[in-house]
Amino acid sequence: MSDETSVGAVDVTYRGIFQKNLAGVITKELVKAARREDKVGGTVQRYGDSPERNGIPAKQFAVIADDMDSLRVEMTKYEPENVVVVCVMDDTLTKGVESWAWYGVRPINLNLAPGGTLLVISRRSPEELLHWIPRRTYDWNLAILPGEPSFGGLWVYNDDGTDYRTMGAVARVTGGLVSLDSLIAEAGSGKDGDLRAAQLREGYESVTMHPVGAGVGAEDTYVPVEMPGWTQMREGLVVPAVEVGKNNTLFMKYTTRTTRPLVKFDACVKCQICYTVCPDECFIPTPEGHYDINYQHCCGCGICAQSCPVSGCIEMVDETVFESNEPLHSVFESDPAAYEELRAEKVAQAGGANPHYGIY
Amino acid sequence: MAAQELVIPDLEINRRLTILPMQEYYTSGHRTCQGCESALVMRYMAKVAGPRTLVTGTTGCMYVANTSYNSTPWALPWAHTQLGSAGSSAIGTAAALKVLMRKGRIAEEKINVIAFCSDGGGGDMGLATLSAALQDTRYNLLILLYDNESYANTDIQASGMTPWGAVTSFTPSGSEQRITQHRWKKNVPALLMAGHPTGRYFANASSGFGMDLMDKVRTALDVGGPTFVQTHDPCPKGWDFDPRMSHELAILAVECGITVLWDCLEGELRYQGLTKQQVEGKVRRKPVADYLRRQGRFAHFVDEDIDFFQSRIDEMWEDWILPGVLRVNQTPFGRLPVDGSSPVHPWHAGQDGASGNGNGSGAAAAPIAAVGGNRG
Repeated sequence: MSDETSVGAVDVTYRGIFQKNLAGVITKELVKAARREDKVGGTVQRYGDSPERNGIPAKQFAVIADDMDSLRVEMTKYEPENVVVVCVMDDTLTKGVESWAWYGVRPINLNLAPGGTLLVISRRSPEELLHWIPRRTYDWNLAILPGEPSFGGLWVYNDDGTDYRTMGAVARVTGGLVSLDSLIAEAGSGKDGDLRAAQLREGYESVTMHPVGAGVGAEDTYVPVEMPGWTQMREGLVVPAVEVGKNNTLFMKYTTRTTRPLVKFDACVKCQICYTVCPDECFIPTPEGHYDINYQHCCGCGICAQSCPVSGCIEMVDETVFESNEPLHSVFESDPAAYEELRAEKVAQAGGANPHYGIY
Repeated sequence: MAAQELVIPDLEINRRLTILPMQEYYTSGHRTCQGCESALVMRYMAKVAGPRTLVTGTTGCMYVANTSYNSTPWALPWAHTQLGSAGSSAIGTAAALKVLMRKGRIAEEKINVIAFCSDGGGGDMGLATLSAALQDTRYNLLILLYDNESYANTDIQASGMTPWGAVTSFTPSGSEQRITQHRWKKNVPALLMAGHPTGRYFANASSGFGMDLMDKVRTALDVGGPTFVQTHDPCPKGWDFDPRMSHELAILAVECGITVLWDCLEGELRYQGLTKQQVEGKVRRKPVADYLRRQGRFAHFVDEDIDFFQSRIDEMWEDWILPGVLRVNQTPFGRLPVDGSSPVHPWHAGQDGASGNGNGSGAAAAPIAAVGGNRG
């Protein structure tokens, strides 16, 4: 955080519902700790994310300021501007995020302030993550907190310490927005103070920092979505229907996905169950009776893999090992052996099939 | 993909579907949760209804998730209607079509009118309009109630169709009171069936049994007159389970006897599929614990709550005159105690161990002391 600005925000980008309570704990505790240092703060959930949907990327912010006026100014904005840390609670979010509301796919570090830090919870290396994170025109930092993404539910919280470890890491990477001492003091006032303090220290110590220069990272292909003005909208808020046989191309759901279904076409018995049970209509029948997958609209719920009667035919594979959303059946059609090789390679790269979700 | 030719599905009462229609009229690109079974219900409904269909939908998940932000996955003409007015919109649309055809403004043809609502919009607020729509035999309309057991769009508030004991935003579980959802789920399709002799077709279906659900929607559209179909759809967001389990949970609810697959065509009640086998005694119901233990909303249940839930389901199957559908028992107070003591239903007494709490729902016998509940 630069010394001139008296207000800074922590952006927590997370998987809707699964990590909603987690993000809530992080933002609220950060603000409470900052208040111990005679600062003022507030938390805000982005309007466009509410009501949340399972898995769809969402954001919560903790805004911390030295005085009330600066806080008020920042809180009236749609999204706080001086974002000094972006906490990424699941590393598949680095591929880009599309909110529930209609924005198009945005880079994960779009709002990061110059010199700010992108804090990712991941087991991957900085190089692997920078393969996805778009470049900026200024210097920024990539911080990695080693760990698995913590997924819980709306009612049952996955209390695995990710919340306090992340806060400890935030104290380290901001160097002054909130101090570790006040976080420990704040945690000490609640339940399990010693355990929380240990988790805070663990996060503070285990986070690694990697400075990223301007222009380093993936190509930035972000084009802001052009919203239709009121003169372009039809009367009476009429929306054009989809043509039969086509899809809604204005909202694609793929940034919701943490894992994607990968089909072993050789093992397919053409039972049609995956096609029947997919709530997102993503299975495209092929002439020979297989079902290709529309990865643009697949949200990775995993119902197909769960319902498939053949063991190992549809497997959920980590999203970060895939480059594109192109359907894969054409590869199988031209060369089944090459497809099988590709499939096995991707599964191995991802460390096996892995539908990672909450405890229930 | 090239635009497909419009194929009007062949509808015929009492012919089971054997081949799935491949056209989609509710397509990809909706803002629903991962593993949303209500979206699957919309898909099945649109699939069998075909292109000559008008759909109206009340406020709820299937409105907000499908038509917000200037885009939609619907390939059918769809209009939003206010929360609670599914019945009025259906009857208005059907009447308008009839008048336009009579005046020769549009060609005489069969156009399906479907109004969908959710458990909150239909089962709670819209019950009056559903009732009005089901009384009027002049019009052909289908009301589809997709039941995800809460006001799920606005982040899970309890509705009249939330199961007993479930955690919602309105009914959290605390250290003082473990159970705060004291109301037993209301049986809307049976309620409507029993009270509306004018309705031609009523059905209860499940998203886990797609072919059965599609058969029911098709039968309703073909038989004409006022018709009603309800579906039971697991909601991974509000029920708190891994989205990949959605379909399994829908099936499990039927296996445990919690969801009952039945329909009533022109006054004749029939059971379908697994439920039929359960009624005939060919298949045993699974214990409800299998279903309850897999959902975060029941994570606070102790064994006695599960036993209570099981006893209510058992009673529904063993004592009701129409198992799982209509509660007309042998005594006004339910099952007679085997030891010959006074016939006060445990549900109303709320004193014998279970966390049951009479909320005085039409029961004159409910002791006043029970209102407010014994602390679980």
